[in-house]
Formats: sequence, C-alpha cells, structure tokens
Amino acid sequence: MGTIRNEIRRLRFEHGEMTQQELAEKIKVTRQTVNAIEQGKYSPSLEAAFRISAVFGKPLESVFHYSQDE
Amino acid sequence: MSFREKSAWISVLSISGIYGFYFWSVIHTGPNPGTFHFGGLLMTVVALVVLEIVLHIAAAIFNPKEAQAPRDERDKLIELRAMRVAYSGLATGIAFACFFGAFTPPIIFNTNSLLFILVTAEILRYACQVIQYRRGA
Repeated sequence: MGTIRNEIRRLRFEHGEMTQQELAEKIKVTRQTVNAIEQGKYSPSLEAAFRISAVFGKPLESVFHYSQDE
Repeated sequence: MSFREKSAWISVLSISGIYGFYFWSVIHTGPNPGTFHFGGLLMTVVALVVLEIVLHIAAAIFNPKEAQAPRDERDKLIELRAMRVAYSGLATGIAFACFFGAFTPPIIFNTNSLLFILVTAEILRYACQVIQYRRGA
C-alpha cells in the first residue's frame, strides 16, 4: 500500500489564506472532509481531487503526491 | 463536530436508550416476562421516532447550513462501510437463529429475540459511523 500526501494546507495559505470552509464550499464537500483530506486521513475521489486542483489552478501532481511503501 | 456525526450520535443513543428500556421492561415486567407485547412495541417505536425528530431538529438549529447540505462523498463512504458491518452482524444473528431452529425439538427464537438482533444491527451501524467520524476517515 502507498501513501497519498498533499499540499493543500500550503496552497490554501498561498491563496489568500483561504479557509477550509471556503475550499469546502468550492469543491462541494463539508469542512470536516477537507480537514480529513489535509491530514491524510481520507483519500478523496478522483473527481474531488481534480476539483481541488482546479481551485488552486495547479496540475493534480502538484497538489497530490503518491509514495509507495517499501 | 459535523451535523452527520451529531446525527449518528443521536441515533445510536436514542436507539440504545429507548430499546434498552423496552427490552428491560419485556424481561422484568408483565404477566408473562419475555413474551411479545404489540402495544409496548408500538409505544417504543413512536417514542423513538419523536425523540429522533426532536433531537435532529435541535441539532439542525445550531447548524442549519450543514443540515440542509447533501451528504458528500466521505459521508456516503462512511455510511456504506457501517452498513457492511451491520449487515454482517445481522446475518450472523439470523444464522444463529436458523441454527438453533434446526434442533430437535427446535429452539424457536421468539419475536423479541429477532427484534433484539435487528436493533443490535442498527446500533452497530450507527456506532460504526461514529467511530469512523471520530477517526476522521
């Protein structure tokens, strides 16, 4: 199994200190789901991942990183 | 705490409390303890429905925006996982009932025993949701 990490927290900060609630409303999920994604406790669907990338105007691989466990 | 998590807490506590009292009264009271009382069950169901509605309205007043929002993908995944666990519990309970029914003479599970299996599966469903919400996934 691998691990999916993300840069959402940093990107939110770089986009005018966007709050989790603001991001949640843009991608149509709850604030708790954004928090779970940020902390790596929940891996979003491909659709939600694309929506997050679109909000920040970055390609998917700049927002999410997959590392395979040895 | 999200509205969905509050809703799961309300359901697990309401069902445990109301049906806990029902099963306690079935065992300890009445002319024939352990027998099925339709009136008692009807009152239990009505009490549960009223309690859940009141508590859900109270929870929605504190967070109306979230209460009106549809379930997101994580909520749906949590519900599906909880349903899978509850189904396993329900299937195991029914399998036990069938197993004991196959004895000669058969050990027949009465209505209250089958109701207990069903209620336990429901509690398991909402408890699993609470656990997953607490874990974050």
